[in-house]
Formats: sequence, structure tokens, C-alpha cells
Amino acid sequence: MTMTDNVLIVGIADIKTGKAPFLIKTTLGSCIGVCLYHQEKKVGGMLHLMLASSEGIVRTGELKRAKFADTGIPDLIHELKVKHDADISGLSAKIFGGAKVLQGVTSDIGKNNEEAVRTILKQFGVKIIASKTGGEKGYQIEFDLDTGKVLCKIFGQEPVEL
Amino acid sequence: MEDKSRISKAIQLIAQLSIDRASQVFSKMVKCGAKISLEKVYLTDITKATEEIAIEGGEVIGAYIDLVGDAPFKFLITFETNDSLLLTDLILQRPTGSTKELDALTQSAVQEVGNILASAISNVFSSDFQIKMKPSPPQVVHDFAATLFEEYISAIAAESNEILIIESQFMVVRHNLKCAMYILPLKGSDKTLSYICNTI
Repeated sequence: MTMTDNVLIVGIADIKTGKAPFLIKTTLGSCIGVCLYHQEKKVGGMLHLMLASSEGIVRTGELKRAKFADTGIPDLIHELKVKHDADISGLSAKIFGGAKVLQGVTSDIGKNNEEAVRTILKQFGVKIIASKTGGEKGYQIEFDLDTGKVLCKIFGQEPVEL
Repeated sequence: MEDKSRISKAIQLIAQLSIDRASQVFSKMVKCGAKISLEKVYLTDITKATEEIAIEGGEVIGAYIDLVGDAPFKFLITFETNDSLLLTDLILQRPTGSTKELDALTQSAVQEVGNILASAISNVFSSDFQIKMKPSPPQVVHDFAATLFEEYISAIAAESNEILIIESQFMVVRHNLKCAMYILPLKGSDKTLSYICNTI
């Protein structure tokens, strides 16, 4: 686990969970950052997923479940329950990223990722209370587990708090 | 799949040969002694690699290039913003410090270095291993370092969890420019890399 002064850094295809006063940070492009928070317990977690679905993937080595929305989101919910006793009924979600950084690429991975995340969270009954997605530039997000707020900075723009 | 360490060695050899050739072209371009050195080559987990880049943070300007042919590769070089300004001055042969902010000239400078390196790699494949390769025009992007890296590795995201990272450094007379260089073998390059492994 990467940890610097109460800060958890989330890499690509990765999940980090914790409780206040921790901050969880990541940087995104076409990937989606899913932040789940339990207000009462002040615990939360972040998933940095790359692709919508793990189905039909031909891979070398073991499946990195946090790479995909369909396996990563259930794992994040499970980890919050098992490690932090955060029941799914108390969770709310904020989602970020899904940009189309590389122009000239025909498929819009970011948009597909976002749609998958919205569908899966809906299936689990987790409400999305804030989101900032799309565009052509990267995102840096900082998830404060004390407040549940996320500071979102899109490259070249002023940060906003959601 | 060929043994990973052998594949890494093959890519390292290609990178070293390419860098040596690119150094010569780059020296001619800036009309003074320039050397590009290979600092570090390592295979690492994609999560760990992005964590480290995210910790360092910062913004970079980079060029993405696809090398298409018998051994398809993806190639990315990145410069920190300040280094890209210095690079622009060196390429334009004007006093250092003349370029104050990132503009079209800076983008062209990075694009040009991308072209030089990608052409050098293609030449190594064709002259040393008789493998035909062709570089695509570079796509220059200015963004967070971690965002550029993330987009780069998304090409292998579905299939692989590891990436080969090649760190290089440009030394131009009294100036040191750090340049991160990444070469990523794509699906279909296995056979060619196996062939190279057997020739070294």
C-alpha cells in the first residue's frame, strides 16, 4: 500500500479504502475513478478502473479485477463492508474521469466506462450524488474521507469541490 | 509467450541501438554534442507504475507514436514542461531561456524528437533484424504525467498487467534534459521478439 502522511495513492486498476482522516488521490484519463463514501462511519474507498467489462478478455497472467467496472465495483463494495463494516445501504457514489485524451481514436473508452459504472452502481442500488466526466483533459482527484468531498482538478482548469 | 526476461533483453537491445542512432541525428540537429543515454530498463506492474507517476505528479508534454509492421509497438516520450522549453531553445539554436511558455514551437520540438527516436527504432528493426516497421505521425499531448501514461498503457490494459519502462536522459553540452521513454510491445510482436531473442 502506498501511504504518505495519511494520503493513499491509487494506481491504475487499483482499489484503496480507509477512514478519516485519510485522503485518497488518483489521476485519471479515460479511466473512471469511483468514490464510495459512508457518511456515518466516515469511511470510503476509491476504484480506478480502466475498462467496462472483464468478459471475453484474453489475458496473460491472472485477472486484475480492479481493472474492470463489472468486477472492480463489487470488490470495492465488498472491501468497504469487510474491512470497515460499511454497509451498502449507507454508501453514496461520486464518479470522475472518462476523458477522451487521445484524439483520432475511434472508440470512446471513457464514455463506455462511464456508462458501465452508472449501470452497475444502479444495479447495486448505490446512488451517484456527484459526477464530473468527459472532456479531453486529465483529472486529478482528492477524496477527503473526513467530509466525503472530492477536490477535482481538470488539467488547465481551477479545481472544484464536489 | 517467450520468457519475459529474454523479451525484456531484446527490447533493451533495440532501445540501446535506437538511442545510439538517435543521438547522432539529435547532435546534428542541435549542431553540438548531444548524447542520449539509457538510464534504467525495468518490467513493472501497471498499478505500481502509475502509483509512482501519480506521486511524482506534475505536468508533462509527450508524443505518442505507433510503430506498425511485423512487430507492432507503442512508443511514448515525455518531457517535463521546463525541459521541453529548453529543448525548444536547443533545437531552434537560440539562447536558453528564450522560450518562456509552452507554445506551438514547443509542441513541434517534442514532435520532432519523437520522430527522430521512432525513426531510429524503425531503422534498427529494418537494418539489424530485417523487420519492416513504420512509425505513425506523433501525437503531442500536454497533460498530467499520470494521464499520459494511463492512456499509453490502455493499449495493453485488457491483456497484460505489466509494462516495460525505459528511462533515458538527453545530455546536450552543459544541459541535462530528462526524457522518459516507454516502449510497449503489442499483440502480434511475440514472434518477431522471439526471432530477435534467438539472434542475440
